[in-house]
Amino acid sequence: MWSTARDIAAGDLVITRELVQPLVITPGKELNSKYGVYRHSDLIGVPYGSKIGSRNGKGFIHVLRPTPELWTLALPHRTQILYLADIAFVSSWLNIKPGSRVIEAGTGSGSFTHSVARTIGTSGHLWSYEFHEARASKAREEFSRHGMDDIVTLTHRNVCKDGFTVVDTVDAVFLDLPMPWEAVEHAKNALRKDRVTRICCFSPCMEQVLRTVTALNDAGFSDITMYETLLRPHQVDSVPALPPISQIGEKLKKSEQKREEKRLRQIANSRAAAGKRKRSDDADEDDGDRAEGSLGKRLKTDDEDDVTQHEDEQSPRTGNQQSGRPVADAAETKGALPENPPRKITISKTFPEVRGHTSYLTFACLLPTLPVAQTPASGTEGAVNNPATSSEMVRDIQTIAVH
Amino acid sequence: MGEGSSKTAQNTRADTIQAGNTLLLRLPSGDIKTWKLEKDSAANLGKFGSFHANELVGQQFGLTYEIADKKLKVVSSRTLQEVEDTEATNELINDGQFVQPLTAEEIETLKKSGVHASEIIKKQIAQHANYGLKTEYSKEKYKKRKEAKFSKSFTVIDPTVFNVCDYWFNKDQNRVRDVRPDALGQMLNIANITHGGRYLAVDDASGIVVAGILERLGGKGRLITICDVDSPPAYPAMVHMNFTREVTQVLSSLNWATVDEEYTPIVPPSEPPSKAKSDAQKTRLNKRKAVNDTLNRTREELFAGEFDGLVVASEYDPSSILEKLSPYLAGSANIVVHSPYVQIVTDLQNQLRDLPQYLGPAVTEMWLRRYQVLPGRTHPLMNMSGSGGFILHTIKMYNTWLQFGVHTHSRLGPDTTTRRLSP
Repeated sequence: MWSTARDIAAGDLVITRELVQPLVITPGKELNSKYGVYRHSDLIGVPYGSKIGSRNGKGFIHVLRPTPELWTLALPHRTQILYLADIAFVSSWLNIKPGSRVIEAGTGSGSFTHSVARTIGTSGHLWSYEFHEARASKAREEFSRHGMDDIVTLTHRNVCKDGFTVVDTVDAVFLDLPMPWEAVEHAKNALRKDRVTRICCFSPCMEQVLRTVTALNDAGFSDITMYETLLRPHQVDSVPALPPISQIGEKLKKSEQKREEKRLRQIANSRAAAGKRKRSDDADEDDGDRAEGSLGKRLKTDDEDDVTQHEDEQSPRTGNQQSGRPVADAAETKGALPENPPRKITISKTFPEVRGHTSYLTFACLLPTLPVAQTPASGTEGAVNNPATSSEMVRDIQTIAVH
Repeated sequence: MGEGSSKTAQNTRADTIQAGNTLLLRLPSGDIKTWKLEKDSAANLGKFGSFHANELVGQQFGLTYEIADKKLKVVSSRTLQEVEDTEATNELINDGQFVQPLTAEEIETLKKSGVHASEIIKKQIAQHANYGLKTEYSKEKYKKRKEAKFSKSFTVIDPTVFNVCDYWFNKDQNRVRDVRPDALGQMLNIANITHGGRYLAVDDASGIVVAGILERLGGKGRLITICDVDSPPAYPAMVHMNFTREVTQVLSSLNWATVDEEYTPIVPPSEPPSKAKSDAQKTRLNKRKAVNDTLNRTREELFAGEFDGLVVASEYDPSSILEKLSPYLAGSANIVVHSPYVQIVTDLQNQLRDLPQYLGPAVTEMWLRRYQVLPGRTHPLMNMSGSGGFILHTIKMYNTWLQFGVHTHSRLGPDTTTRRLSP
């Protein structure tokens, strides 16, 4: 598939963290983006996983080795695509592993295709079917460019009408079709019969699920089950520890006290002023008047200063302490305030908007009907019957064999 | 066309059940029993019957058997039954009424006389006073409940990674550190585990992660695990996979002492003392030498680095694990850390995002809902698994800065712009 060499070579597909489009390294070409200017030839010989500064010094890019997961984020959308959570779950339930033979219909944007191709490797095979001709040719070109020719066979075909190109061959079938129930019998033909095989139908609507379940049941699939899986991304932040209410309580108490002091001062002032008026009516003691008047003014200014200072209290008073190291006595004198610098905590929550539904994943097994040819033990005196010959009575009892 | 048809799929275990396999047997009650198939032994499933172990040898995985006279009979797969809607309700059915004249002793006698489970259930239904009043759905449930009680049968669970993980998770999710099958599938995909790749893993989750990686390697590539004990780690979840030797031989283990480059492991001497020794002693020394050589080779291999990925499901501080092991990762290697606790991975994310050698650390949570699928009765299961844990994923970057195509690595200075790249 993609390069496994340590260093980037000409012709390699390279993913960058910064650019949405993947790059195919072509000597002579230049990448010119808001992240700077890069010559493709500069990247040749550079190890994957490097950070590269641009020629014009205006930015940098991280050059990454492509993976199906990165490709899913970068790929050109031809259709609605499958995402990590569903791909991983389907692959796991269908037991897709190196050497597996798998059918996929339809190909769509190739998101699942890349992931399966990675997992099955060159000892496995993936037959991919797409009924939309233009999409099929685009996907074929892409798979070829990505070195997947020996793993993936892409066929332009309507599998609901014409079925698959292989019989009794594959270990698993994945149907991402509008009407998967129309392909269930074809899928059964394509699945091998000498071991347990599996199918998954991917449908966004419950009505589709119900019709699919009926079709699977009628075709003799067992262990029918259905799942929904989602991936919830978390937004992580580091913030100062939340202030305790005692701190706010103290602040409120102080401000209440100040307000009361102010009120009392104002009463005192107005009384004094009233007295002065009286006295000025009497028209004597000129000097005393002036002194008291200015005192009243000064008091008021002090009060205003107090208020501003009070508002600043939450942040350490840096004015007179700038020269020294941040002083801990700020915290000591105010008791409830956090130490300086404030303790940080890590918090996380799910992103405000997340994917709420992708599709229902309907799974089923097809149990083997063919005896195993090469095993010495089968056919010996054991009483094990072929499932096909098991009696009506046995069928009647319906053993609990739900997956 | 011949694609894929020329070769059979590589198997990580024998095609069929073999003597020596450790099997998972699902009983009619829904319980799963672990059972090691010893040649020529007898298997006893308690009230569900007993049979001769050899009968399973050579059989396919995944089939259901009925036990009759200690012999096994394959049961065809169960199909879903359409249930007819009727007017019946539970209006006239009250709790505590005497409805079943058939006594436990009578049922026991019937069972002893070898009457088939389906006959017993028929008898019970015939004698049940209120059976006719039940809704069709309720009748179905009743029959199912009785089958779970009386039928003598079992299923050999196909030991896929999914099924084995599911078994362990349901048995004791703490022992697999909340690695649910969906979480495991995601970890393997995000870590880009590829046939032939080279990986590091720290698995304190009973070996379920190791099992998943080994299966995806399919006998080609390399896996070095680091454990917290001085002997080879027991990965009990791996036992149920019944891997062949080819699959497990790519696995080697070191511990937190032997991964220390500065440390010289203290091993017993493997060179014979001066005088000639007995054969027994020579064999012992040779064995010792082999163990020591393997240890040294594995350490050298680790220290040479350039691994393709690191997967962690550990009880230890993940940032200390990353600090120790990420120097051995190649650029663009995927790092996946799973934890049952969101705080562990968010704290880690918070530390990593300031370090230029970790690109875009991101935290995700798994969510999985299973449905009951029955004709006319499809709905999510009433109980669901609350958590499959949390995953942090990041990509390892070389701690170098390349400029203008000058291909000499220069130390990266303090870089304040790295943070901006976090998603």
